[in-house]
This record gives sequence, C-alpha cells and structure tokens, in this order.
Amino acid sequence: MTGIIDVSQLVKTYGDGTKAVKGISFSVPEGEFFGFLGPNGAGKSTTIKILTTLLRKTSGSASVAGLDVESDAAKIRKIIGVQNQDTTVDEDLTGRENMLLQGELQQMHGQALRDRVDELLKVVDLVDAADKRAGFYSGGMKKRLDLATTLVHNPKILFLDEPTTGLDPQSRASIWAYLKQLNEQGITIFITTQYLEEVDRLCRRLAIVDLGEIVAQGTPSELKQEIGADSISLGLESSTMNTGGTREKAKQVLETKFDQISDIVNSDIGLTVYAKNGSFLVPEIVRAFDEAGIKLSSITVSSPTLDDVFLKHTGKRIRVEEVTSANYRSMFSRRRR
Amino acid sequence: MAFLSDSYNLFVRWMKKVVRNPILIFFSLFQPVIFLVLFTQLFSKFGALLGPGVNYTVFATAGIVLQNAFSSAFQSGTAVVDDIKSGFLTKMLATPVNRSAILFGRILSDIFRVVVQTIIILVLAYALGVFPETGVLGYLIVIFTVAAFGLSWSGISLALGLKTKSAETVFGIAGFLTFPLLFMSTALVSTSAMPNWMQTVSNYNPISFAVNAIRNAITGCPVGHLASNCTTGFDWSTILQAYGVIALIGVLTLGATLYLFRKIVS
Ligand SMILES: Nc1ncnc2c1ncn2[C@@H]1O[C@H](COP(=O)(O)OP(=O)(O)OP(=O)(O)O)[C@@H](O)[C@H]1O
Ligand SMILES: [Mg+2]
Repeated sequence: MTGIIDVSQLVKTYGDGTKAVKGISFSVPEGEFFGFLGPNGAGKSTTIKILTTLLRKTSGSASVAGLDVESDAAKIRKIIGVQNQDTTVDEDLTGRENMLLQGELQQMHGQALRDRVDELLKVVDLVDAADKRAGFYSGGMKKRLDLATTLVHNPKILFLDEPTTGLDPQSRASIWAYLKQLNEQGITIFITTQYLEEVDRLCRRLAIVDLGEIVAQGTPSELKQEIGADSISLGLESSTMNTGGTREKAKQVLETKFDQISDIVNSDIGLTVYAKNGSFLVPEIVRAFDEAGIKLSSITVSSPTLDDVFLKHTGKRIRVEEVTSANYRSMFSRRRR
Repeated sequence: MAFLSDSYNLFVRWMKKVVRNPILIFFSLFQPVIFLVLFTQLFSKFGALLGPGVNYTVFATAGIVLQNAFSSAFQSGTAVVDDIKSGFLTKMLATPVNRSAILFGRILSDIFRVVVQTIIILVLAYALGVFPETGVLGYLIVIFTVAAFGLSWSGISLALGLKTKSAETVFGIAGFLTFPLLFMSTALVSTSAMPNWMQTVSNYNPISFAVNAIRNAITGCPVGHLASNCTTGFDWSTILQAYGVIALIGVLTLGATLYLFRKIVS
C-alpha cells in the first residue's frame, strides 16, 4: 500500500466494550478528495481520531504520509490539519488570536504567521470580525474560524469531521469551493459530511461505513452505476400507508408482478423501487396499482444518486438536519459561554 | 525551545482569558482585598485576646496572603476541566504542541496571578501599617513562599480536575477543605487560642507551616511569639520546614497531575 493514508484491519473497541470500528481497510492516494460517509454512530469520528493521533487504536495498522499513527504521532501532527466534529474555538480570544495561537503551536512565528492569518481571514470571510471575540460569533462564523485555524500551517492533509454541518447554504458553498481549491493545490482532503450532493460533485472517491465496517467504496459514478437501476419513488396516500397496510399491499403487488425490479425499500413518502429502465415501468405500475385499488399520490423516476447508494448499503437515508427558521435562529444567535 | 515558546503562548492565552472576564478579575483582585479589610477590621480587638500588645492586622496579614493563595490554587483544576469539556484540549493535542507546556502554561499563569494578588495585599497591608521587619528580603521571601505554595496546591486541583473531569467536584472539594484547613491552622489565630486537640491538628496542618514562615518574614519574630516586631529576624528553621512541606505536597500533587495528564494525552 502506498497511499498517503493507509488503513489496514483497523479495530477500535472503546473501554466500555463498544466496538466502534471493526477491522476496516482502505487507502487514500495523495491528492485525493476522499469522502468518508456513514450513518450516525458508524465509526467515522472514531476513525478520524485514530488517524489524527488523538485516539489509540485497539489493533490493526494505520499510517499517514507513511508515518505510523502511534510511533510517529509527533511527525504526523506537523503535516495535518484537523477539524473536529464539535466546533472548538477559544471564545475569550478574538478570531485572529485563535488563529495566531494555533500557528504558534505549529511553530510558526512572526511576520510570516501574521501574513498567513490575514490571508486566511479573507478566505473564510472573517476580516471584519477578526478582532472581535469568538464568543460573539454566530455558529457559522465559529465553524469557519475553526476551519481556518486548521489551515494556518499549510497542512498537507486535511481531516475534516463535518465541517459544514449547521452552516447556511451560502457559507457551505463557499467552504466547499475553497476546499476544492485547496485540493487542486495538491492537499489531500479526508472529509465526513452529510451533504451527499457536494460529495457527488467534489469527492473523487468515497467510502461508506456502517456499524464499524466499510460497506462500499469507489468513485461516486462507480457506486451509482453499481446500483444499475433507476429509482422510482412512489408516493402512497399517507392516511392508509402504515396503518391500513397499503405499503405492504403495494409491495406485494410489485413483487409478484414485476420481476425486473431489483430492490424495494421503504421511504418517507411510500416506497422506492429500483429497476433498470425505470421510465418504461411507470405506466405498468400505475395500471397494476389501479387494479389492486392502491392510490398513488405521486410517482417520480430518477437516475441513481448517492442518496440511493447510501440507502442501498446502509438501509438508512442520511440524516440532514433541516435548518428550519427556528433552530436556524438559535444556532446562529449570539451566545456567550 | 518548543516547550518554552508553547508554555509562553499558552500562558498568554490564560492571562487574556482572565483579563477579559470582568467577574474573574473582580474575584481575583478584590476578594483578597475584601478579606484583608474585613478580617482585620472585624477582629481588630482580637489581638488583645492573643496576647498583650499583639497587633491583629499584622498577625492576620500572613493568614490572608495564604488564604488567598489557597483559593486561587483551586481555580487551576476547573480551568483545565473547561478545556477538556470544550474540546479545546483535543484541538491542541492535534498539533505538535509540547504536551508538558499545556500544563506548564496554566501553572505559570496561576503563579503569576497569585503573585500579583499577593503584591496587592501587601501594598494594602502596608497602608494599614504592616511591613516586614525583615525588610525587602522579607517581601521577597513572602512572595516566593506564596508562589511555591500556590504551585504545589494548584497540583491538588489539577489532579482532581483531571481525575473527575468535573468543575463542580473541584469546587465542592475546595469549599469543603477551605474552612477546616484554614481555621485549624495558624492563619487567623495562634495555637495558644485553640483547644488542645485543635492545636495538634494545627501543628500538622500544612497551611500552618507556610503561614508560620510568611509570618516570620513579616514580624521578624519566631513562631509562637506573637508580637508584631522582633529583632530576631529570619527564623530559618521555620522557613526551611515550610519549604519542606511545600515540596512534599508539590511532588505528590504535581506527580499525580503529570501521571493523570499523560493518561489523557496518550
Ligand atoms: N468515548 C467513547 N466511549 C464509548 N463509546 C464511544 C465513544 N465515542 C464513540 N463511541 C461509540 O462508538 C460508535 C461510533 O462513534 P463515532 O463517533 O465514531 O460515530 P460517527 O460515525 O462519527 O457518528 P456521527 O455521524 O453521529 O458523528 C458509536 O456507537 C458511539 O456511541
Ligand atoms: Mg462523528
């Protein structure tokens, strides 16, 4: 293995017996934009913590830039940038001071450090707030500051654990655009996120973990092709969907009448059906449901997305906490510790 | 090299945090002042009870200096718990920062703070007519003893903080220890005014050792001699005993702190 990140048979069992990572192996080549996806509790953060020398593995091996995560931890820390899932900035320091401190701890000093901080403040759009205390920042500003602090020392490899969660769409887009730019400069990016569309657009490769195991890996298009089918989303009348047994009945109809269907899974609005050449099937499904007396409220056909890939491999839809206006406000309200 | 610059940068971080929290400044600076004024005024007639011609303000200054160092020392642990809870420690640990510097930066800031507080108390005490019979060297010994005492006792709160990871627990234990340790020592009264059993406790109380040394530097009188000004000067055996006790506590508590911290950072 010759990747910039090499993981082999990695196992992590926590002190309380939780098997968070159960023997995963993967390799990330230098310069990759690598997505690490999975439902809650899959073991993503645990893996990142091991790779970033913050947590001891139970067994297996892991190396970053050819350096062992345990015996060469000190060397690894100089070349990686780490953003943890929980935003951590010192709220008593200003944005600029947070970045300067991080730079000093990375052994950068003087004018070079100050210039670098100025440059990054522009990138994360915090120039105006640079000399305000981070405690007065909004949630999104803190997140951007946190990202900026991980970049001060020009890391070769970036480990980002949900860097855009909780950000408004604009900030999200600008951060992803910047990550893309960094990646084009040759920086390897290892990222966990819930935003599959961005993953689809930007990650060259990805792995999906579930319950501590890798269930799929490849490029987004490979994984989508693997599904080999379009998805047909059937909306069932919600009043009778669960209690009235409509969903079960619909499933039965589909299973008995259509052998070209490769998979049927429950969705929020009813069922999602996977089949080759989905659009040809639509009239037939409508007819069959009509005959069986099942009312359809909607039907849409789409070529497979990463959502479908995710659903297929984990049986779950990825959680994206919708930013409603209420929690949006609380998330971004000015808050002192 | 990295150890020094990291310690310095983290020291500066803690100083900024103190300066930017008005409530902390208030407690840090005004609490000792209030104690000094309240105690010495409230108990101003107390001197007469301790013995003829005893000036209680002079007597209690050593105790107030120590009491202040004692309560300050217990803030170290809670600060480190805050860093663990907020994830800031994790963030630092992902950098090549010198591990020991994380602790040392905090300890330096504690020492700095307690020295500033002590100077404020001494200046105020001077205004109330208290000054070391042993001269400038006396001032230096007072400050140095307080710094060493603060260092060794902040180890207790650091170890507790690292062990329990709960600021409430550290505060609780600090509050629980303050009164018995302070009142059953020679900080505010002399052993001659205590019942027998308490005299025994006080004689073994580590606070008494430190107070006696500081009081000796201020009054120039040997231990148990309660007058406010003697020509005896430094009582080196008292001072050395104090340093022995401080060193012993320091080795134990800072050793435990280092051990617990290693466990967390590895
Ligand atoms: N310190 C810990 N002690 C015990 N169990 C833990 C600890 N940290 C995480 N776990 C458990 O390990 C499993 C994996 O957790 P991890 O945080 O790696 O998941 P994740 O994929 O990052 O999830 P999320 O999407 O919610 O962030 C979970 O079951 C979690 O409860
Ligand atoms: Mg996580």
